[in-house]
Amino acid sequence: MSTAAAKSLNLLVVDDSAMMRAMLTRAARLSGLPIGAIHEAANGQEALALLETQSVDALFTDLNMPVMTGMELLRIIDERNSWPGLLRVVISADGSAAKRDGADALNTLRYIEKPFKPEAIRDVLAALL
Amino acid sequence: MIPAAVGEGAGGAQGVNTITIGIGEYAISAQSDSLLVTHALGSCVAVCIWDPQARVAGLLHFLLPDASEHSTRSVTQPGAFASTGIPLLFETAYRSGLHKARARVYLIGGAEMPHLGVAPRQIGKRNTLAARRLLWANGVMIAREEVGGLVPRSVYLCSRTGRLRIKAGHQHIVIE
Repeated sequence: MSTAAAKSLNLLVVDDSAMMRAMLTRAARLSGLPIGAIHEAANGQEALALLETQSVDALFTDLNMPVMTGMELLRIIDERNSWPGLLRVVISADGSAAKRDGADALNTLRYIEKPFKPEAIRDVLAALL
Repeated sequence: MIPAAVGEGAGGAQGVNTITIGIGEYAISAQSDSLLVTHALGSCVAVCIWDPQARVAGLLHFLLPDASEHSTRSVTQPGAFASTGIPLLFETAYRSGLHKARARVYLIGGAEMPHLGVAPRQIGKRNTLAARRLLWANGVMIAREEVGGLVPRSVYLCSRTGRLRIKAGHQHIVIE
């Protein structure tokens, strides 16, 4: 994991939509903020594999995905406690209180509801830095 | 259309050159002490840009989202449309030294004016969406928006400091 002094975030973007991953990546790159590597995964399982091998500071995950949902991913991350400093952000079309509460309970810092403006990603990244 | 006004003019009592931009017009001020002003932003949208390093400021006051159904006016007054005015604003600003990566971009206006009864439905929202889409497609992030609502706005952009003042009814918003 990169040091806080470096003030640069390595990201992991998890969404089953390639278009959404591309939009998030583009928004992060255009943010003008110090962003390092941006890794992409199409579901929770792929995300876990990347977390095992890559240095990641912040996770942006969708909830409704095949193979392994975002909520399952967050639960595993929480239970394993292998990534205590990992910043967790949910991006989902499901803005229900139940989902928000569930994500909160799993140490999610921010919850962004789809559809969202690209500037929302920049603002969250700025807050995380 | 007002062609790019690049800090010319005699200036006021305090040496500030006020450039008033009408509907469908735009202006650029470079390396000068100018105040770019536009009034009567109802459903229209003002796109304000400022490069703090180059000290280049620009303001476009567009009226409608798309020029494709207005072929004549799109040529005589490209600043009236988001689709032609925004590219023109940026291209002119680039020639004056503005860099996209440094530029701060603001959207103001896009209110709904149903009581006027002449504007197409939701034209304020459509104008705002058109500007957002075009900026995003060209890799430009919006620093801040003051859009929507039912109140017309006026905008004052200082080319030296980038200070943006928005007057909406009795409310004043200052963005430094």
